[in-house]
Amino acid sequence: MQFPQGKPPVGIIFDSAMGSRIDDVLAMALMYGLDGKNEARVVSVSSSRSNVSSAAMCEAIGRFYAGAASGDFGFVGRLLPVGLAADGRIGDETPLVTVPLAKKTEDGKPVYNHGIHSLMDTADTPALLRNAFTSQYDQNCIVVLAGPATNLVRMLGLPDAKDWITRKVRMLVVVAGDFAGGPAEFNVKADIASMQKLFAEWPTQIVVAGAELGAWLKYPASSIETDFAYAKDHPVVDAYRAFRAMPYDAAAPGVAAVLAAIRPKENYFKMSPSGVVKVLADGRTEFAPSATGKHQYLVTDPEQKEKVLKVMVELVSAKPVPKAPRFRRPVDKKAVDPAKAVVPDTAPKP
Amino acid sequence: MITPKALPRRTFLRGLGAAIALPVLDAMAPAFASQLPGKAPVRMGFVYVPNGMDIRNWTLDYEGKLQGLSRIMAPLEPFKEDMIVFGNLTHNNGRALLDGAGDHGRCCGSYLTGVQPKKTAVDIHCGISCDQIVANQIGNQTRFPSLELGMEDGRQAGDCDSGYSCAYTNNLAWRSETQALPPILDPRALFERLFGVDAGLTPEQKSRRNKFRRSILDFVTDDTKKLEGNLGPTDKRKLDEYLSSIREIERQLERAEKDNAQIDPHMAKPYGIPADFAEHFKLMTDMLTVAMQADLSRVFTFLVTREGTSRSYRELGIPDGHHPLTHHRNEPALMEKVSQINTYHVKQFAGWVEKLKSIKEGNSSLLDNSMIVYGAGLTDGNRHNHEDLPTVMVGKGGNYFKTGRRVVVRRETPMSNLFLSMMDRMGVHAEHFGDSTGPVNGLNLG
Repeated sequence: MQFPQGKPPVGIIFDSAMGSRIDDVLAMALMYGLDGKNEARVVSVSSSRSNVSSAAMCEAIGRFYAGAASGDFGFVGRLLPVGLAADGRIGDETPLVTVPLAKKTEDGKPVYNHGIHSLMDTADTPALLRNAFTSQYDQNCIVVLAGPATNLVRMLGLPDAKDWITRKVRMLVVVAGDFAGGPAEFNVKADIASMQKLFAEWPTQIVVAGAELGAWLKYPASSIETDFAYAKDHPVVDAYRAFRAMPYDAAAPGVAAVLAAIRPKENYFKMSPSGVVKVLADGRTEFAPSATGKHQYLVTDPEQKEKVLKVMVELVSAKPVPKAPRFRRPVDKKAVDPAKAVVPDTAPKP
Repeated sequence: MITPKALPRRTFLRGLGAAIALPVLDAMAPAFASQLPGKAPVRMGFVYVPNGMDIRNWTLDYEGKLQGLSRIMAPLEPFKEDMIVFGNLTHNNGRALLDGAGDHGRCCGSYLTGVQPKKTAVDIHCGISCDQIVANQIGNQTRFPSLELGMEDGRQAGDCDSGYSCAYTNNLAWRSETQALPPILDPRALFERLFGVDAGLTPEQKSRRNKFRRSILDFVTDDTKKLEGNLGPTDKRKLDEYLSSIREIERQLERAEKDNAQIDPHMAKPYGIPADFAEHFKLMTDMLTVAMQADLSRVFTFLVTREGTSRSYRELGIPDGHHPLTHHRNEPALMEKVSQINTYHVKQFAGWVEKLKSIKEGNSSLLDNSMIVYGAGLTDGNRHNHEDLPTVMVGKGGNYFKTGRRVVVRRETPMSNLFLSMMDRMGVHAEHFGDSTGPVNGLNLG
């Protein structure tokens, strides 16, 4: 895609363990909402939850937002492949993905389209992530890790990965850990070794959204009941209802992370001083301030809570905006087929 | 027959300015060794066709054991058990990656190198191609480290696609990051390179030879007779077939040269290039076969026509240029023509595969002991995409690859991974190549 006037909006590379937490679905909805407003571009989506349904759900959500709110697939452009860890640490299917994917129309067709039916329909994640970097402008890419670090660490193992990351990535935002002294957080506990390696070796700035943020920022069930009425069927609503018995407000640290990453100037959150995050052997996280450290974590700001909540709901529940097709010159059919081409008679008349 | 001393593998039939290497003969192996599998060398080759495919008529919709082939692949039907059809292999470095237009330049430049060529028409910069990495390592075991063949004259300088040098569209093999290896297009030039007819001859000798142009076989008659006296009946037959094939190549060359002289003395093509596409293809692959048979080289590339070519195919009743046709914008009549061209290419390739399969090497065939990738650097010439590239590999690579199936790898898997696996089979154990993420698993029989 060509952007004649400077850099395009920042590219978002999103890796989660789709199926584990409803927060991942909400974060994707937020990303696509910002994509629709041209504040960001979703350039890669992957999952470290090793079942095909997890990837299929990612694709179904992507197609929903790329197409029309009705669910009819009116996608224009290249469909992003979805990466999947073939042998990640967690793998079972959950209702969060199986229920929406099993939902059928009156004539028995899936309500949410996707093209992922086997592992071969998904992308090899290290290659997918590296390839996504290669097509971004320098320092115009943000990586959002909302799941275990399995996929990112595998990509780090590619020989040229760190060079690409250093060149292309502005920051990594990680939804993991707990900086209020809590127990081992889910994304860390699922693959402790990978999270340790990630914090030790990732070459750019890392901003962390800890579990305490999720306790502070919750997505309201009332929004699910009312704000998505523009679509008869909506994957966010169906996933939300399938995840837990309604009504409940869902912890949304992933949404907070995406918001902070894409709209840093809004100061929705405060930032900790610079330092180093250390992942302990039991999965708990510690933070040691250091002037040379590249890590920070998001800190809640009570004065901003209402504003953050309002913005979150607005963006997550925003009606999808189908992207306009790229301009193409009208086809001159005669000119396309040389056999049918009419050679203009330019010879001088007698 | 038990021979106390084996005939050296590097035996040549020599004569005035000629040196004909021999195919693998039983007499070259120690007693009973010809019964052992995997004796013959493994050959690696790449046959590249331009402008992608009419992908609707290429892609198979299943994995595993090969059943019915698609329309374009249909000529390969008799060789289903000898090939692997790949799905999902991707060349990310053929994509724009912020460099804008120029997919034809990028896809050919990146095809065997696995890197993105620098967008320039002047200071070209690409990568060392996998064939040359192998040639550098094992090329000293054969007379030619590698052979580069082509069929369409192409410039080596200037802008051939949106700012990409013609060096990218008109070459497959890259010796270094800045030096491409232009393919030999003229069958006579290839013949003389392979058999060294002119090598070492004085101008007087060349003049004398041209005046009384005779078969190269005439110059090596004495050596041939001497050798035949030491061969068993099987080897004698094999040698006879081999020398006959060389004679047939000579006849084809002479015929082409005679025809060209009659058709148009001012034609731009070199003197020995047949006007007919199929005849040219056959002549080039016949010589390649001899080169493989005689172990003159184990590594080759064949750029059937240059990437982005606008060659027409009047022999198929298609006067349109190939490249403009591929931008068919889903017009059925134009897509049909693209399919016909794609199938025509595969048909020529299948004819060669048949020949390779017919040549016995011990208990296997020349095809069995080869691994030849046939494919394109663009998937769909209309869309200019670079994922799920049309790719077939024929041959078992020396009883190594499990053929007869369609192997679908995961999306975004680099094409470089397949080349890494092939390099490994050739004895070059690189950890990485191009943008590889690892070898393609599960290809071998083990």
